[in-house]
Amino acid sequence: MKDEAQVSEKFARYDAKLTTRTKIVIGMGLRGFFSLLKLNKKGVWNLALIFLIYLWSIVFFVLMAGEGNVYPCEEMSSEFKYCQPIAYYGDMGLGGVRLFLVTLAAIASGGLIANDMNDKSLHLYLSRPISRLDYLIARFIPIFLLLIFVTVIPNMITFVTQWSNSGLEFDWIKNHKWLMFDIIVQGLFYSASYSIIGLTFSTLINREYRAAGAFFLFVYGTNIIVELFHEFVNDDRVLLLSIAHLLDIVSFEIYGAEYYFTSFGDLKGIELSNIEIFGALTMIIGGCGIFVNWMISQMEENK
Amino acid sequence: MIEARNVIKKYGSVTALDDFSVEIPKGKIGILGPNGAGKSTFVKIALGLITANSGKVTVLGESLDKHSVDIRRKIGYMPEHDCIPNHMSGVEFLIEMGLVSGMDTSSATQRTHEILGHLQMGDEKYRKIEEYSGGMRQKIKLAQGLIHGPDIIFLDEPTSGLDPKARREMLDTINGLTEISNTNVLLSTHILQDVEMVCDHVIIINNGKLQMKENVKELMKRQSDFIQVRVGGDIDGFVNILKSKKITVTTDGRILRVPYLNDQTFQHIIDAAVDNKCQLYEMERSKVTMDNIYLEVIE
Repeated sequence: MKDEAQVSEKFARYDAKLTTRTKIVIGMGLRGFFSLLKLNKKGVWNLALIFLIYLWSIVFFVLMAGEGNVYPCEEMSSEFKYCQPIAYYGDMGLGGVRLFLVTLAAIASGGLIANDMNDKSLHLYLSRPISRLDYLIARFIPIFLLLIFVTVIPNMITFVTQWSNSGLEFDWIKNHKWLMFDIIVQGLFYSASYSIIGLTFSTLINREYRAAGAFFLFVYGTNIIVELFHEFVNDDRVLLLSIAHLLDIVSFEIYGAEYYFTSFGDLKGIELSNIEIFGALTMIIGGCGIFVNWMISQMEENK
Repeated sequence: MIEARNVIKKYGSVTALDDFSVEIPKGKIGILGPNGAGKSTFVKIALGLITANSGKVTVLGESLDKHSVDIRRKIGYMPEHDCIPNHMSGVEFLIEMGLVSGMDTSSATQRTHEILGHLQMGDEKYRKIEEYSGGMRQKIKLAQGLIHGPDIIFLDEPTSGLDPKARREMLDTINGLTEISNTNVLLSTHILQDVEMVCDHVIIINNGKLQMKENVKELMKRQSDFIQVRVGGDIDGFVNILKSKKITVTTDGRILRVPYLNDQTFQHIIDAAVDNKCQLYEMERSKVTMDNIYLEVIE
C-alpha cells in the first residue's frame, strides 16, 4: 500500500521536461531511419537492396575499373559514357544501380506516411507539439538518410578507387575536389528528389505496398513512355515528363557535363535550356510538396 | 482554462461553429451535444489542429494565433476513432508517443510503466495492440494522452463503441487517472451519463452555438419528481387551493406539474379538485431527468 501511495504521489506531481521541436523531429526521423534497417519482414528487403547496390558498385566500379575509365568529366564529349559518377545512375549496362535505388526508394518510402494515415495514428502525431511541416520533415529524414547511404557513399567509394588507381597522390585529390563536391551534391539531389516523390505516393495511396508499386511504375513507366514518345515527336522537352530523365539531366548540370540520354541502345544528345529544366523540376517537386501538405491538412480536418 | 470569442468555422457551405463564445473554467468539463453539433470542431480548434475562419481562442491563457503548436505541450488528446498502430505493443506505442511529445527515453519509459500500472495492465502491455480488446485499446488511447503529464486532456467520445461494462470501466479509469494526475478534462460526448459520471461542469452545444453552460450538480438539482395533472374547469382556482397548501404548481396549458413531496400529495390534488369542483382527467407521477433537461435545451 505504501509503495502504491508513493507511485501515485510521484505520478500526481509529474512535471515532464519536454525538449524542443527540432529535437523531437530529428528524433522521430532517426528512429524512422533505424526502423527501416531492422531485421523484420520489410527491413530485410531494404537491407537486401542496400547489399545489392554496394555489391553492384564494388563489382562494376571497383573490381572492373579499367584503364579506360578516367576522370575528369570536363574532358568528355564522345567518351562521356566513361565518366563514372554520371554513368553510375545511367543505363549504359549499369542501370542496375538505378533499378535497385528506385526499388529501395519505393519500398522504404511506401509506408512512411501511408501507415500513419491507414491506422490514423497521424492524428496522434499531429496532436503533439509539432507542426504539419515538422511531421513531414520527420518522415522525410528516414528515407533521405537511407538514400544518401546508397548514393553518396558508394559513389565516394568509386572516387576513392580512382584515386587509388592514380597512385594515391594528394595532388589528385586537390585537382578533383570539385568532383567530390559534385558527388555529394548529386547524391543529396537524387536522395531528396526520390524521397519527396516517395512520400507523395505514400500520402496519395495510403496502402504501403500499393504506394510502393505505384512509385516504381511511375518512375519506370514514364521513362519508357517518354522515350517512345520522343521517337515520334523528336522534341527533347518531352524528356522532362519522365522523372528519371529529369533527374539525370539535372545531374549532368551538377557535373557541368553535356546532356545525353539513351534510347533503345542509342546515345542521343539533349538540347534544353536551364529555365525549362529547372522549371519542370520546381513544378514536380514543388507540386509534390504542396500536394502532401494539402492531403494531410484534409486529414486534420476530417476524422 | 479555455476561452472562445465569436468563433466561426465553416466547412464549405456548412457552418460547424456559428459565432460561438464560451468561457470554460478549470476542472472537468463536458461538452454535450448531438452528432454534428460542432463539439469535435471546437476540440480540434482548441488543439490547434484546425483554424477558425474568424474569432479568437485562448487555451491556458495562451492565444492559439501565436502558440497553436507549442500549447500542445500542455494538452493531451484522445481522439474518438481508433488510431493506434496495431503492429506495436502497448509499451512501445506509449514510449513512442512520449518521445514525440518531447520526453527523453528514460522518462518516457518510466512514465509508460507508471501509467500502465495504474491501468492495471500486466504482461498484456508487451503484447501487440492488435490483440487488445476494445476496452484495452481505449485505455491505451487515454494513456497516450496523459503520457507527457499535460495540464488538460481533451477526450473526444471516449466511450464510443464500448459495451456497458467496458464503458463503466473506461469512465472509472478516466476519473481515476485524471484525479491522480491532477489533470483538467474537456470531455466531448453525446452521452449524458458520461458527463454525469465524470464532469463538474457541462456545456451544451447545438447547431454550432452555445445552448447552455451549467454546473452539473446544479443541473442535477433540477432533476425532480412531479405529478403530471390534467384538469378541466377552473384551473386558476385549482392552482390557488394547492398554493394555499404551500404546493407550487407549474402550468403548461391544461397540464399542470405538481411537485411530488410524498404520497399525501396525491390526496392534496384530489381534495383541491373536489373543493374547486373541477374535473380531474389524469394524474400520473413522473420525473424530470438530465435527459429531459438536455432534450429541452437541444429542442
